[in-house]
Amino acid sequence: MTRMVQSLGAAILDQLAHLGRMGLFLVYMIRGIVKPPGKLWSVIKQIHFIGTKSFFVIGFTAAFTGMVLGLQGYYTLAKFGSEGLLGSGVALSLIRELGPVLTALMVTGRAGSAICAEIGIMRIDEQIDALECMAIDPYSYLITPKLLAGLVCLPLLTAYCDVVGILGGYLVGVDLLGVSPGAYLSGVENSVVWKDVYMGMVKSLGFAVLMIWICTYKGFYAGVDEGNFGPEQVGRATTNAVVLSSVSILAADYVVTSILL
Amino acid sequence: MKREAGLRMVHRDLIEVCGLNSHYSGRQVLFDIHFGIPDTNITVIMGVSGCGKTTLLRHMIGLKRTRPGQIMVDGQDLGKFNEEEMRSYRRRLGVLFQSGALFNSMTVSQNIAVPLKVHTRLSDETIQIMALIKLNLLGLAEFGAFMPSQLSGGMRKRAGLARALAMDPEILFVDEPSSGLDPITAAGLDRLILELRDTLGMTIIVVTHELESAFRIADRLIVMDRGRILAAGSPDEIRASQNERVLQFLERKADTAEVNTAGYLSRIKGNEITRSGR
Repeated sequence: MTRMVQSLGAAILDQLAHLGRMGLFLVYMIRGIVKPPGKLWSVIKQIHFIGTKSFFVIGFTAAFTGMVLGLQGYYTLAKFGSEGLLGSGVALSLIRELGPVLTALMVTGRAGSAICAEIGIMRIDEQIDALECMAIDPYSYLITPKLLAGLVCLPLLTAYCDVVGILGGYLVGVDLLGVSPGAYLSGVENSVVWKDVYMGMVKSLGFAVLMIWICTYKGFYAGVDEGNFGPEQVGRATTNAVVLSSVSILAADYVVTSILL
Repeated sequence: MKREAGLRMVHRDLIEVCGLNSHYSGRQVLFDIHFGIPDTNITVIMGVSGCGKTTLLRHMIGLKRTRPGQIMVDGQDLGKFNEEEMRSYRRRLGVLFQSGALFNSMTVSQNIAVPLKVHTRLSDETIQIMALIKLNLLGLAEFGAFMPSQLSGGMRKRAGLARALAMDPEILFVDEPSSGLDPITAAGLDRLILELRDTLGMTIIVVTHELESAFRIADRLIVMDRGRILAAGSPDEIRASQNERVLQFLERKADTAEVNTAGYLSRIKGNEITRSGR
């Protein structure tokens, strides 16, 4: 009995310590924005990696999502004879929900995992220790540029995803299923208001912080808890980072929606 | 000899380790370590693998947290350093890690330029030249444009040393300099370490298990075993040591199998009890 209470207590303390460390990591990561060294060049490099290189995959995802929305939306709306609303339906669901969420999930899968693995390898190879020994703040030097790049890239990618998705919906709705192009486009124009776009952008900024935070944190502490710095730990950290980021993005999506709605 | 002792009295050690204990997730790895590192000397910390040498090194460079009062640097308590003090202490250090710890995403000369770029306002051209000078010192001048993954293990280690020397540190920590190096390169590295002490007056701390290299370069030797210091002194004093484990280490003898079965069992069980008691 005592042993059970003891191990339960130890587990809770462990988790609390873990959360505290994660919170501190976020603080250091944000503090890095104002700390030297200058990071313009590394931010540009990260924007290239997180943003530019995700362009194709996001476009692909967005096109097919828009197309399937067009298809499903048409099928549902046709039951009520209101196919004319297809444009509004596709645009609103993309701009408010699917755009930010899908973009964040795809970027997590493509760039988040790579970021985590990169930092994890730096950890097990003592490169992060080496940075500290050179009196260079590893947060400011390594992590913050990724955060800034994420904050630049995700809203832009989300906007791109929204536009491509709406065009995908147009392709299916208008060209294949015969909805009038005027009805589709005016539906988009009339139903989308600034608040919808704002909500999508707030979400994408929030998801950017979440994704970078979790992925860099998991890499930064790869193997530290086990006290064992091997490739296996980097693999595990990467898996954990992707799973945890994806779940948190979905959970945060609900929270943000319920607050902003 | 007397004069040296007198000098030592006046001259306080640069780094003093006084009663250092260290744990890894509940397991104690260092037990009450005491020793001093005089400046402009080469101190070699020796011992078998897993005896706590690297942990000791990590304490001295502030990578593993030290309790107050256990390590003093210039008479100041390392355990009480705040972020700023730790940073200014580290700017006096150069550290070569076991693996070399080069940044994989940069070329060798970019690696060496990192501390110069962050800590100085020198022009890119000057930094380039300085990196080249350091590379040349280590015999790697023509490898500046290579990526670390294109270098052999020994070259990576030398490049790591070039980076550690980039800021002309006052104190140089070197973890296993010659492991994995061929005898000629290892001897070259030893000579370089001696030169750094003689020409630049660097204080150098080397962690190694290579006997030959240790005796060749050391002003002072510290022999560790299972988290404790077995012997400390000049190379001659260590050679004259009568300690059984020191002799075993110096003569490269393997551990003998335990003959006393009862003793063996109780030792293992004892370990088991302490482990489950934690």
